[in-house]
Amino acid sequence: MTRTTELLRRDDGVVEVPGDPAVEERIAVREFQGSDAIELLGCAFGAFCLTWLVYERLTPLSGGLGFFVSWYALFLAAVWFVVRDRLGPLEARDRLARVVVASVALGLLIPLGLIVGYTFARGFHALRPQFFVQDQSRVGPLSPATEGGGSAGIVGSLEMVGLATLMSVPLGILTAVFLNEIGGRLARPVRMIVDAMSAIPSIVAGLFIYAAFILALHQRQTGFAAALSLAVLMLPTVTRTAEVVLRLVPGGLREASLALGGTEWSTVRRVVLPTARTGLLTAVILGVARVIGETAPLILTALGNTSLNANPLKGNQDALPLMIYRLIRFPQTASIERAWTGALVLLGIVLVLFIVARLLGGRGPGHIGRIKRYRLARKGLA
Amino acid sequence: MTSSETIDLVEDRALDPVGLGSGLTARQVSAWFGEHKVLDRVTLAMPPNQVTALIGPSGCGKSTFLRILNRMHELVPGATLSGTVAINDIDIYRSGLLVTDVRRRIGMVFQKPNPFPAMSVAENVLSGLKLSRHRSRRHDPADLVERCLRRAGLWNEVKQRLGTPGGALSGGQQQRLCIARALAVQPEILLMDEPCSALDPTSTRRIEETIAELREQVTIVIVTHNMQQAQRVSQYCAFFLAEENAPGRIVEQGPTDKIFSAPDDPRTFDYVSGQFG
Repeated sequence: MTRTTELLRRDDGVVEVPGDPAVEERIAVREFQGSDAIELLGCAFGAFCLTWLVYERLTPLSGGLGFFVSWYALFLAAVWFVVRDRLGPLEARDRLARVVVASVALGLLIPLGLIVGYTFARGFHALRPQFFVQDQSRVGPLSPATEGGGSAGIVGSLEMVGLATLMSVPLGILTAVFLNEIGGRLARPVRMIVDAMSAIPSIVAGLFIYAAFILALHQRQTGFAAALSLAVLMLPTVTRTAEVVLRLVPGGLREASLALGGTEWSTVRRVVLPTARTGLLTAVILGVARVIGETAPLILTALGNTSLNANPLKGNQDALPLMIYRLIRFPQTASIERAWTGALVLLGIVLVLFIVARLLGGRGPGHIGRIKRYRLARKGLA
Repeated sequence: MTSSETIDLVEDRALDPVGLGSGLTARQVSAWFGEHKVLDRVTLAMPPNQVTALIGPSGCGKSTFLRILNRMHELVPGATLSGTVAINDIDIYRSGLLVTDVRRRIGMVFQKPNPFPAMSVAENVLSGLKLSRHRSRRHDPADLVERCLRRAGLWNEVKQRLGTPGGALSGGQQQRLCIARALAVQPEILLMDEPCSALDPTSTRRIEETIAELREQVTIVIVTHNMQQAQRVSQYCAFFLAEENAPGRIVEQGPTDKIFSAPDDPRTFDYVSGQFG
């Protein structure tokens, strides 16, 4: 300590520290260090041993869940005692809360990992390139799982969700703009209706389109009808998320725009919406995520199809969830395997869509994209 | 200031026939938020090509008065007012002038720098033209951006990074960018609501220099809590005060020199000499 405080002042006024090394030694200011990890592992191991002793040797208890719960409880108790012993009760409580929060977060990953892993394990076997180009029209009861494919479902799903997005996103964002920027006395009932809409069971959305579109207007079951029912389900999700996102745009920006002589609409179009772009994209993603796996409304509106029909306006159309639902009920192993492959492809499509969406517009408002920069540079503005 | 900037300013005036500035007159202006009266019969003339400073303690209605001058007051739900505000003898509330035109002619710079985060520096400057659909055909955009940034004293610092987002600049630069943005729509009057309260002394001085240069072309009304600043930049000064449980009003107004050296009202003297408020 004394060495670092002994500063030498040279004649030219520069302060020198004796023994000044060429490379500064950085202090690692980390809250969670290696010794803490060892401590936690030790607690977990000790708790496991104690639980094992109680379950296997001392008492006639049995059962996996009970074992796990006892282990976890003992683990927490061990953490608390060990940390209190070393750092005091205040730190012990803090560490305990941290361990609980972290383990809950990890615990949530378990079901996700199991779902993805199980789907992968069951569906990977029949995943061949032809799954993306063939349909089920030539598949017989004895064909192996590697024959035929889900192109009808893939095309149908993409078209239905795409159409539903085209319908519900502009509507949802405009509604959010109304709720947030215009408001007034109508805002409350509209918000209530949107909330109520988000609680509609998906089968009811399907029934609604079946009654109000197919029966009343003498239409057939088509991909377009299915897209309508999906749009009904998507709308409240998009609207509410977009509303929350628009509310985050600072009021100062709106005032600045109005003070420059902007109209309300130009303020919304040029300031509010661009600033909220990333959040609005999240709203779209959440909306797509809400409907891409929907099966119930499609049973009534799209009916499903074993052969590829790329026209959403005419004829029955297949969709991946519909295909999975249809195939998984057959007794043949091959059919069930095809259903799992369909589930795997559905997961893959969702993943790809999300990645593409993030790449397209996922940067914050303070980021200026390459295309826009090029356009600005051509005008001599960059 | 470099000599090249001086030349530019001279050219600016030659290019800008609007640059004569307009006078703004407020007569008997009162304001309410709901039932709560915050301003009581304020009468103030803001002559062309002068800097008028509004001073007074917090909560005395200076900012409300300023926002009345370009019709921003009515954006607050439940806000009402009475009296007249006239730009060159045309009442901005009753004469049928479009509210967007009023705000374009009477620009505003806010207390907190608020450049549009989704736009680049250059786009921020041009944003007013796009927002108000008021296109200037005489100049190409790149030229306008340069002129406005020069007038706001920011050009030399940002000319290499016109394409970067407006939010990436420092606080003082952001505020000058907001000034440049307000100037791009060629306002006749510029209102400033404590433009330096969030800035360091260097940026503050830079903005004060900008104000002094702008005075030649634009009429400026500035709200400030800083007595020295009011003394440095303004020619005319109005002291606002709200007595306990009473709406704010102008206690005294006059040439800045007089307000600071020989005020008539003892409350003004107390305030400008730092004895209260």
